[in-house]
Amino acid sequence: MSRKYKIPKATQESTASRVFLLWIPLILFLVFLLFPFYWTFVTSIKSDAELHSLTVSYWPAQPTFQAYEHLFGQFNFLHPMKNSLIVALITTIVSLTVSTLAAYSFSRFCFAGRKPLMVLFLTNNMFPNVLLLIPLFTIMRQIKLLYTPWALVLSYTTFTIPFSVWLMNGYLNDIPMALEEAAMIDGANRAKAFIKVILPVLLPCLLATGVYIFMQSWNEYTFAVLFTNEKNRTIPVALKMLVGQLGVQWDLITAGGIITVIPVCIMFFFAQKRLVAGLTAGAVKG
Amino acid sequence: MELKSRRKRFNIYPYLLLAPALIIMLSVVIVPIFNAFNMSFMNYNLTRPNKMGYNNFGNYVKMLNDSDFTGALWRTVVWVVFGVGGQFLFGFMLALILNKYFRGRGVARAVSLIPWVTPGVLIALMWSWMFDGNYGVINDLLMKLHLIDDKIAYLARKDTAMPSVIITIIWQGIPFFALMILAGLQGIPGDLYEAAAIDGATGIQKLFYVTIPSLRNTIFVTTMLRVIWVANSVDVIFNMTNGGPANSTQTLAVYVYKKASSLDMGYASAMAIALMLVLLVAAIPYLKSTFAEKGA
Amino acid sequence: MKKLFAMFLALAMALTMMSFASADDVTINFWYWADNDAYSQTMQEMIADFNATNGKGITVVGQEYPWDGGGYSQNLLTAALGGGAPDVSTFKLTATPSFTNNNLLANLDDLIANWEDKDQINENLYTTMKKASGTDSIYVMPWNTQVLYVYYRPSMFAEAGVSVPTTYEEFLDICAKLTRDTDGDGKTDVYGFGMRGSNGGQEPWGCFLYAGGGDFEHMDSEGAIKGMQDYIDLYKNGYAPETAPNDGFSQVIDNFKSGLTAMTIHHIGSSAQMMELFGDDVDAFIFPQGVGRWTSMGDTETVMFDSCQNKEAAFEWMAYLATGKGQETWCTVTGNVPVAARVQALPQFQENRFMKVSIEGSPVAGILPVLDTTTQWIADWPATIQKALLGETTAEECMKTLQAAMWEE
Repeated sequence: MSRKYKIPKATQESTASRVFLLWIPLILFLVFLLFPFYWTFVTSIKSDAELHSLTVSYWPAQPTFQAYEHLFGQFNFLHPMKNSLIVALITTIVSLTVSTLAAYSFSRFCFAGRKPLMVLFLTNNMFPNVLLLIPLFTIMRQIKLLYTPWALVLSYTTFTIPFSVWLMNGYLNDIPMALEEAAMIDGANRAKAFIKVILPVLLPCLLATGVYIFMQSWNEYTFAVLFTNEKNRTIPVALKMLVGQLGVQWDLITAGGIITVIPVCIMFFFAQKRLVAGLTAGAVKG
Repeated sequence: MELKSRRKRFNIYPYLLLAPALIIMLSVVIVPIFNAFNMSFMNYNLTRPNKMGYNNFGNYVKMLNDSDFTGALWRTVVWVVFGVGGQFLFGFMLALILNKYFRGRGVARAVSLIPWVTPGVLIALMWSWMFDGNYGVINDLLMKLHLIDDKIAYLARKDTAMPSVIITIIWQGIPFFALMILAGLQGIPGDLYEAAAIDGATGIQKLFYVTIPSLRNTIFVTTMLRVIWVANSVDVIFNMTNGGPANSTQTLAVYVYKKASSLDMGYASAMAIALMLVLLVAAIPYLKSTFAEKGA
Repeated sequence: MKKLFAMFLALAMALTMMSFASADDVTINFWYWADNDAYSQTMQEMIADFNATNGKGITVVGQEYPWDGGGYSQNLLTAALGGGAPDVSTFKLTATPSFTNNNLLANLDDLIANWEDKDQINENLYTTMKKASGTDSIYVMPWNTQVLYVYYRPSMFAEAGVSVPTTYEEFLDICAKLTRDTDGDGKTDVYGFGMRGSNGGQEPWGCFLYAGGGDFEHMDSEGAIKGMQDYIDLYKNGYAPETAPNDGFSQVIDNFKSGLTAMTIHHIGSSAQMMELFGDDVDAFIFPQGVGRWTSMGDTETVMFDSCQNKEAAFEWMAYLATGKGQETWCTVTGNVPVAARVQALPQFQENRFMKVSIEGSPVAGILPVLDTTTQWIADWPATIQKALLGETTAEECMKTLQAAMWEE
């Protein structure tokens, strides 16, 4: 058994198919995906008068970066960003670890209660948060986690774990069992076979799932507004503060959005670059 | 097969692996979920605590006679089918494109994530701003392209409100599918394609005979999870149209959310359970296929 | 940084207080929302001022929460039911039944009776507070009010050759006259009336209900249906923007600010931004007399929770906001109508033209009936009205639905 997990080499494609199958669709996608982001940015640097003008302008006549200054100055946006980062990172690490174990169990073993347990994991995600709030608040208060990042981590894991377990289970099922069986025949125990053989193949999926968990906890509002106070407010709550009874503070909220998006994209860029490098290295070795 | 033979005797190993996930999850939600089940059988309106009590499935009976409920159920189907369908279709296409080699691929992959990274609070605000009937950039663009003559009040019309919110959720969800499928694509052994190429398969044939079958589980699981997620999502609709105009975008999840917000927890819980049952029924084919795969 | 520093300072102070706690040193936990970040800043300054000057060892620790389109009240209720209520919070009157029915609020009767400033607040306001709780006791402390009136653009009135309406019929008439195609391309460029068909629209809509001849107790009366029909006609005839069914507060204000609408209904809270934009070219009048006359009194109050351990100390802070220095600072910055007579008499309030209109409107200003159905009624209002605006139901059907939702069990 010696399947090589190497990345398919660039095949010889004609220029025409390159243009029609790659560049044109890619550009169309990027325009659709990025235009709202561009629009958010333009909104953040428009003056109030220009924003509410009946003629739409695609670039402000007098761009102003006041909103950014204000956001980092008086509004102290770095504070919720730091809190969001802490919560999202811890949630990601905890959920990813326990879900990978659970998914491996579901994927590689047959045991009594497997199906009901899998369904249990699934149904957990089918229930709207808003109905769980009051008892959850009470629990968090009683176990003294209220107004600490742990209250959020704990409540986020309740919906990221089931989701990740299913995702990872799907990925694992797509990886042939023969892979680790071969390693185990060669004398490795199960844990070793998992680490040496499965984990490298699973890395892109771990990254994808990790990004998913990260985003869910980075963006969650309903729990965050109740389980945090000024000390540990997260980004969505801070942004929501900018929508009051007297309207939306467009400049600040859009600037906040831009600032939120950029670091995550940069993080992902480096993570996946690392990963591709790691994969290629593994492929060469194997 | 060494692995499968293990199922004959009791093995503690799988349970140990499951334990941490199960304990973390259940320790937190079991009481709240039980509580919600209980409320669904009660008159449980927080504005009238003195009138609380079990009501003989009264909430469920009320649900069957509530035309807003049946309407919301139907709209949930439309919302999920088009929302998730669009996300999947475009996400898959994007994943295939981003799996090719080209200059700047790393950057393209990173920026494609933007919609998903954008805080939910902002997504609905931004899109309603772009769809705005008076200042919206979408009207402006379409008028410049001479596709429409008059401004359209997208979110204030019954025929355009639903498509508008669906476009928004598609936009938000494309990166999810792209990311997940891309991860799966990287796990497909290269020699499968080489073998197909030797057999003289065209690009399309490779897609249908190699790529899709290899990703079967990934596709099943991601769509199922996404269906559940989208069916339960409220923030886009709630913040763009508040379920309006005239309930034309009120899905079941939005209805539940609104009922819970106006503190009628009993009825909201009953509807949430109905939604859960509908989702479970919809998930049966997926579950069957997942379980069949394992031969268990 | 300033905010962070202030917080640390507050925290440090709180800790010091705890370690040297004498019988008098107490901490009051206070929740509030702010409508923009300038207001948030003001509130923090007021808290700091109170902590520095109260002289009784009381430390207020403020926690800001998002308004979230009214989600504030639900979050407060969730926390209170979960046993984690603050000591004092800002409040909206319509939320009262859900809190008093769950016995969450502290009865303020004795505290107010022994309060030296109690006469600073008009007896009517106390009565309104009592009515809201459905008892003879006061659970909600007045803080500031806003009377809804009609904003208009004098320059547009001049162009269309109309003047401020004195009757409801005139008002409807000028809505039509103000709707104009200014550049001759066959499309409407200015709409007479900025209609709010989405969340919160019940307040301006109430003006039409009463002008037509109805009231909240009889929303299915002939007069009420006429008021509704007028409302529908304004939309159907194109005197309001087509977006009206989905227009909430910010859209209505944006449309007025951009010059898309010539009139819209709101309160003094938005007057500062209007004056900044238009200078003298914006003014206001109270919704005119029809068969009846009513306008909505917006309100913000404070409440004390029953779980509060130091009710006297908490009341000091509420008093500071209601009649003390806090009243003056807050109303000056936000432009809201003060509830304390002493503050109302200050020149900056006497000379403001929007404040004058607000005070002029006070006699006809009222609130929605505060019942245990009110929360649900407000939540259902947009969908019910939108159905009528979009022709799915008639004015009569619409009003019958609204009447039943409010008054029928």
